[in-house]
Formats: sequence, structure tokens, C-alpha cells
Amino acid sequence: MNRSEPLMQTLKGMTRRSLGVRIVLLFLGLLLAVQAVSFIAIRATIDRNARTSIAGSLVAGDHLLHRLLDQNAQKLIQGASLLAADYGFRSALASHDNDTIASVLANHGDRIGATVSALLDTGFALRAAAQPGLEELQPAIFRLAERAASAKPASEIVVLGRRPFQLVLVPMRAPVVVGWVLMGFPIDRPLMDDMRDLSSLHVSLQVRDHAKGEWRTAVSTLPPEAVPALEAHVADMPLQLPDGEYSSRQVTLSQGSTGEVTALLMRSVDEAVAPYRRLQLGLAALTLLGVIVFAVGSVLTARRVTTPIRRLAAAAERLGAGDYTTPLSGRHRADEVGELAQSFERMRMNIADQQQEILKLAYWDTLTGLPNRVRFRNAVTEATEAARTAGRSVAVVMLDLDRFKHVNDVLGYRFGDLMLKGVAERLVQQAVRGGDLVARLDGDEFAVLLADLDPANDQALAQAVAQRINQAMDRSLTLEDQAVDISASIGVALWPHHAADTDTLLSRAEVAMYSAKRHRDGPTLYDAKLDASSSQTLSLLTELRHAVDHGELRLYLQPKLGLDTARVVGAEALMRWQHPQRGLVPPMEFIPFAEQTGFVRVLTMWVFEQAAREWKRLHDNGLQLTLSVNLSTRDLLDQELPQKFEALLIRHTVPAEAFCLEITESAIMDDPERALGTLERLNGLGFRLSIDDFGTGYSSLAYLKRLPVDELKIDKSFVLSMERDLDDARIVRSTIDLAHGLGLTVVAEGVENAQAWELLRALHCDEAQGFHMSRPLPADEFLRWSMLWTARHAQPALPAGSGSDITVTLH
Amino acid sequence: MPVSCPHLFPAFGLALLFHGLAGAATLSVTVNDAAGRPLPDAVVMLEPVSGRLPVKPMTAVEVRQSARQFSPAVTVVTVGTPVNFPNHDTVRHHVYSFSPAKTFELKLYAGVPAAPVVFDKPGVAVLGCNIHDQMAAWIVVVDTPHFARTAAGPAQLAGIPPGPYRLKAWHPALPADMAPQATMVTLGTEDQSATMRLATRVTP
Repeated sequence: MNRSEPLMQTLKGMTRRSLGVRIVLLFLGLLLAVQAVSFIAIRATIDRNARTSIAGSLVAGDHLLHRLLDQNAQKLIQGASLLAADYGFRSALASHDNDTIASVLANHGDRIGATVSALLDTGFALRAAAQPGLEELQPAIFRLAERAASAKPASEIVVLGRRPFQLVLVPMRAPVVVGWVLMGFPIDRPLMDDMRDLSSLHVSLQVRDHAKGEWRTAVSTLPPEAVPALEAHVADMPLQLPDGEYSSRQVTLSQGSTGEVTALLMRSVDEAVAPYRRLQLGLAALTLLGVIVFAVGSVLTARRVTTPIRRLAAAAERLGAGDYTTPLSGRHRADEVGELAQSFERMRMNIADQQQEILKLAYWDTLTGLPNRVRFRNAVTEATEAARTAGRSVAVVMLDLDRFKHVNDVLGYRFGDLMLKGVAERLVQQAVRGGDLVARLDGDEFAVLLADLDPANDQALAQAVAQRINQAMDRSLTLEDQAVDISASIGVALWPHHAADTDTLLSRAEVAMYSAKRHRDGPTLYDAKLDASSSQTLSLLTELRHAVDHGELRLYLQPKLGLDTARVVGAEALMRWQHPQRGLVPPMEFIPFAEQTGFVRVLTMWVFEQAAREWKRLHDNGLQLTLSVNLSTRDLLDQELPQKFEALLIRHTVPAEAFCLEITESAIMDDPERALGTLERLNGLGFRLSIDDFGTGYSSLAYLKRLPVDELKIDKSFVLSMERDLDDARIVRSTIDLAHGLGLTVVAEGVENAQAWELLRALHCDEAQGFHMSRPLPADEFLRWSMLWTARHAQPALPAGSGSDITVTLH
Repeated sequence: MPVSCPHLFPAFGLALLFHGLAGAATLSVTVNDAAGRPLPDAVVMLEPVSGRLPVKPMTAVEVRQSARQFSPAVTVVTVGTPVNFPNHDTVRHHVYSFSPAKTFELKLYAGVPAAPVVFDKPGVAVLGCNIHDQMAAWIVVVDTPHFARTAAGPAQLAGIPPGPYRLKAWHPALPADMAPQATMVTLGTEDQSATMRLATRVTP
């Protein structure tokens, strides 16, 4: 795993405007907003402060300049005062020797660095001077004198020789004021430099000779090249010098008659703002640093938040995709995300458990613990696919327990379940090879998958297994100290011989199984002929429909005769198919098929309607007969059969009592409750009911007692062998006795000779049916045959000959 | 600076009062400062216009120094009067005068100087002490017997024979290099009064 991968994921997430990028942008945005506001505020404050500071420093400079000038004046005053108090000087003054006085003044002026020194009388008139040309100072002296009226020193700034001078006037006392000493210094570069050093202000002294004259720079701390700009400067405008903008303050020092002196104090704006600019730069650097720190911090925070969320999303994806096995990471965090992860983990485990449960329910039968139909079907699919690539084959053995419903009904569902479990155990333990898959498909239906068979002997092997299963089922099962006989109908189908896909293979095995059940002939290998859904049967079904619609069916009647009177008492309605190509198709070739597909109900209705019509005709011909119609299992299970029959009775205006409905034992036993319900309703309509093929099924006497039947028909297999087999004869006798005991009429089928007739008559059997009297006859012939028979057997007599050729032989 | 000439107020003029022919009259003089207020301690003197009257030097005049002050501050003496400067202080003094009337100095001394200073010229001598600048005194040397000083009221010049006189007035408040102010008065036998205004420096 690459170390940079999480970062790459983060960046990828960022580009999607994910939660992470929103967090980062929010943090940075807030920071920048705060910084921008503070930057603006600081900038405004700095600007204001700088201006205030400049103004303040200019005011301070103003004070400082005055202070420096004052100090200078004081120094000068001190020097002048010393001179004025000098006894020798005063003595010289008394001498009235002006030359001496002038030399003293010059000498003293030199001592203190004064360039102007003079003596004034008490009227302030010049009396002696060390320098020539001081007369022009006289007005300034008088102004000074006004301020010196109280005999105190005074100072003044004047323009002398176009230069600014500071003058002081000091009284001379002896001891009263006898004169004044005047001294003056030029205001020069050193003073300006002092100003510059002390205040960091630039100072320029501007002089002009008179009020309207041109200002001239006398002395300046500015470099000479700045002087022209300075002189061109207009008051109250920002001062723009070669090295930048300056704030300035004009200080008037003197407005005397000899000229004006102004000090211009200047502060470089750039210089004043420079420290603040550095501060701002520092703040900008801090902001940049903050942005970087915030960016890194918020990216990390976003990752801390979004990485586990993404991990959870991935986990949810996995869950959605059905992967319940990977545990969630990040469950041990102490925060909300950790809680969420834990919830996810619990959810994952719960879903995994439920999934397993669902799988179990979906693929396993809970009762027997065997795989269910779905699982079996999947296994078959897998096996066929494996076999396809390996060139092998697959077989499915399907079995259905016989009479399981009956067991359930009689012994209860709990017992039924036990029986299913027992069967399952037996199948797994005894019947199948190791590795064969046994499944319970449905109810009492089981299946075995034989995979990976050698195509050379697959059929034999499958049939061997089926046979083994059959044998295993033959032994009775002991459940709760009760021995139960079980048997199963077994069908076998093979892939690829019988089907190309799983579903077809399963249904083919089922077809084979149902065929085995119907014919009770042991394990049955699939054959297309068995199959209602095979193409062969599909065409047969189409032809049969065609036959019904196009009148290819024929009604045949086989007479039933009273054994005591030998009179025709009734007839069994039978059906023949007059196929246009194949000729007369025997019932065995299409009735089972019709039963299997349910088409038999159409046939039953056809037979009944034909029988009703025929009865009417016979009745019109003076024959009072009972016509028997066969009902199949399907008919019995049809809830609407009684209504349909009733409707036909009404339509043909025939009484229900004219018909006897024949039902086989097995038809009843498939679903006795429903069959009983139908029978009771038919009985209620007035139909006579008859048990057909009695003795072959497993009907209990208890059922027989409950059934609303009027007649028993002894199966012809007993009647046919009755003369040779004593046991069968006994069965016939017992059955007749039993039926009579229950108040039922007994009919014997398969009476083929006179001995049988006689025997049955001796046994007090009520009616007989068979070739000895007549084959089934087309309806038209039946009437003729009946007329003839009645005519010949006017008296009770034994019928002696076969009726097929309508020759009746009497004993 | 031109100093304005002292003059007599016309409103007051000279009111000459005569008391008999042979008798002398009294002149009372009021001296006002530049603001018109009466000045005490002003010195007034009368000098005849023609000639001079004989004056006798005064005796036993002294200007003491005590508590670092001259006392009295203003002394009027006649020409030729010797003035003594006894020092009553414990410190020495160096009394000087650069005035044209009498230039002298008494170098640091204690007690009474050996000789008095004779003021032999009329005029005003301003005295100072070289080591105590605050000390100042004036000696007005007059060359006439008629002099007086104002006090709370006008100065009284009594027993003045009639005739034309130069009336002079002086006050310490006048600038040091200014001569006493003069005006002409003619006296009869009657008493008169006169008012003079001095160009003093206006001091509070």
C-alpha cells in the first residue's frame, strides 16, 4: 500500500467538493475574512496613527525649536549679562571713550560667539557697536526695547543681511540702568542639525525681506537639491520633495520690518509610516503563516472526519454488495464516528446472521434437514454445467411417497412429519451412494442427484440406484412402536438424454415418477410417451380436442343384466375414438393421457351428455335402464362437477336416478375428503353411485361405510379367475356378502362364460356385465341388441352366448 | 529714543501769591510722574536765573550701609559737602559712582572709611556697590540753598526772595543719564505753588 494513497484519496475527495473540501474552504474563508477585516482596520488605524504621530511630532518640533531658540537666547543673555555687569566695562562706559567701548564689545562678543554686539543708551539709541551697519537694526531694537521696558533681558529674531539673527537686549546697571547691551547670533546650521538630531524633523528657515517678498531658504537640513521644491511649495498643500511626501508645519519666528523669518518643520510621511509598514508586513507574514497552518490543520481535520466516513461508505457498499464477512475498521475510536462504526459493525453481524438464516430457510428444509427444492435445483444446474465440460452425464431420481395424504389424515400431521424424517434418514443412510445429494422437494416428494456419471452406463446406474431406493422403501418403517408400510413411486431422468436444462430435467423425472405412481410398476425411466408436455403428447392433446369438436368420438354401451331375471337393467357408457387415419383408437391409448392432462373432464362431460341423450332415446323406445358413467379423480376433485351435471340433466330433461356414476377406489383415495364432498353432493342430486374395480385398491371399510354409494363393482380380475382360483372365488363371495351386508347392489364385471354367470347367480350377485352377454356396442346397435335380447329372454333364463355377434344362445 | 521735554501744565501754570513787598514768599511744588500722580521723595530746587547764591557745605552727612542697603536712598547735599559712608554691615562693600557729578570708589571696606567723599559739583551721583548689585543710592548735589523734597504733600520752598528762578525737579525714577528737569518761575512776595511733571519710567 502506497503511503501517499490516503492523501491522494483526500485530494480526489476534495475535487469532488466533498465534505472535506467544504470544511477546508470554510476554515480558510473565515480566517481570510477575519484577517482581511483586521488588515483593513489596522491599515486605517496605522494611517490615522501615522498622521496623528506626524502632526504630534511637528507640534513637538515646534516646541522644541522654540525651546532651542530660547536656550540660545538664554545663553546669549547670560553672555551679554556678564558683559553688562563687568566693572571694567562699566568703568569704560563712564570714561565716555567710544572706541574703547567698541573694542570691549568686540572682545566680549568674540568670547561668547556673538556676531553682533553693541551698546545702547537708556533711550535705546545706538551708542557704540563692534560691527558696522547695525543701524538697520534700530527698528528691531525699539521693538525689543518695548519688551525690555521692565529692565529685563529680551530676545528677538530678526533678519540682518538677509540672514536670520537672534538678538538679545540686556540692561546694564550701575547700579541703575545706565544703558543696554545688544548681542546677536546668526541662526545657523548647527541649531538646525540639533533640531534634526533631537526630533528627526527636517527644518528649513525661510526668510523674506518684506511681507510680500519671495521666500528664500536661509538654512536647511534638507539636501540642496530639495531646496527649489521647498521654495516652490504652497502652504497648506502636501509638500512633495524629491524623496517623497512630507508633512510640514510653518512656524513664524519673526515678522519684523527688516523681514520675516519662518521655520518650516517637515516630517517625511514615508519615514513616519515605515515602522507601521514593517508592522503590516509582519502581520501579512503572520496571516500567510496562519493560512498555511489553517490549511494544513483543516485538511488534516477534514481527513480525520471524512476518511472514516468514506471507510464507512465503503463498508456500506460492501454490505450492499452482499459481503458480510469483512469486519469494519475504525471501530475503536472514542468519538461519534467510532459509535457509528460500531453500529455499522453490529448491523453487519446482524445482517450476516439473518442472511445465514435466510439462506438456511431458502436452501434447507427445516423438517428433515435436507436441502430444499431451490438448493437441489442449483445443485442440478451446477452438476449439469460441470458434466457439460467434463463430458459426463447427470441423473435425477425423484420419488413420491404413496398414500402419504392418507397417513397424514389418519395418523395425524405429527406422525406424517415423523414419517418424512424417517424416510429422509433411510434415503440418506441406505439408498444412495456417498456424495449423492438427497433433497426434499415438497411435501412427500424427495429427489436424489447423481452427478458425474459415465455416459456409457449412466442409465443402468441410475436405475440401480432407483431400484435400491425402491427396496429401501419396501421395508416397513417403525415409528413410535408402530410399523408403517411405506412405498414410493420413483421416476428417473437423465441429462443430457432426456433434457437439456435443469428445469426440464426435473420435470421429466417428475413425469416418470407420476407415471410410476399411476401404473404401479416400480421405478420408471423417463420416456417421451409418458410425458403430457412432450411434443408427442402435445399433438395428441390437439388431436383429442379436434376429436371432441369434430365428432370423432363415439358412445358405446355395454349392457348390464340382472342375474336373477337375465333382463337388461342398464349399461355402462364407454367411449371410442374413431380416428380418421388410425381408425378406432382403444381407450387405453388416450384415457390415461387425458387423465394426466385434465382433459378427461371434457371427455367425462361429453360421455355424460351423450349418455343423457341416449337414455332419452332408449326411454322413448320403452327401455327403462340405468346408464353408468365413469368419473375420474380429476372429475371428483372438480368442485363444479355437480352443477355441470345438474345443468345437463335439466337441459336433456332426464332424471338423475337414471344414472349411476362409477368411481374407482384409487380416485377416492387420492383426496378422500374432497371426493367425499363431491360424492355427497352428487348423491344429493339423486345420482346412483358405484365403486368401480372394487378389491384392487386399499379402501378401508370405514370409508366404504361413509361413502353414499349404492353399488359395488367387483374387479374383473377376480371374476375372470374365479373359476380356477378358489381364493378369488372366495373374495367374490365375500365381497358380495359384504356389499349385501352394507345394503349395496353388487355388479360383476368380466363375465365371459356361462359358468361364471351361473356361479355369480348362485352367489346372489345382483348384476353382471361382460363379453358373455355383450361387448360394448355402439349406441345405435345397443337399442337393437336390447330389443332382441328382451324379445328372446321374455322369461327369466340364463344367457348362454356371446352378444358380440348379437346371437344369443340360451341354455 | 527722544526724551520728551518736561513742561509745566498750562492749567496749573504758576499761581504766584504775594504777601507784602519786603517779605519772602514760599513756593510749594508738587511733582507728578508721567502718569500725573504725585511723586514723593522728589527733590526740587530753585536757582536764581542770574548768578548763584552762596551755599555752605553741609556737615555730618552720611549714607550708611546696613542690611545691604544704602540708607537713606536719596540724600540731598549742597556743593562741597563731604559725605561719609559708614558700613554697618558685617560684610564689606565696594561703593562706587560712575556719575559725572562725582566719580569715585571706595574699595572693599568695613567700618567707616578713612576719609569722607566730598561732592564738589552739582548734579546727581548714583551710588552702587560693586558686590551687591541690588544696592543703589542717589546723592543729589545742589548749588543753591533753596531746595526741598516732596513727601506726602508738596515740597515747601520757604523764604524765597522775589525774582526769576530756575525751578528744577528730580526723582530717582528718572533715567540715570538724564539731568534734573528745569522750568522758569518768577517769584513775588506772595506764596506760590507750582506743579512739575517728570518723565519718569512708569513703574508699578
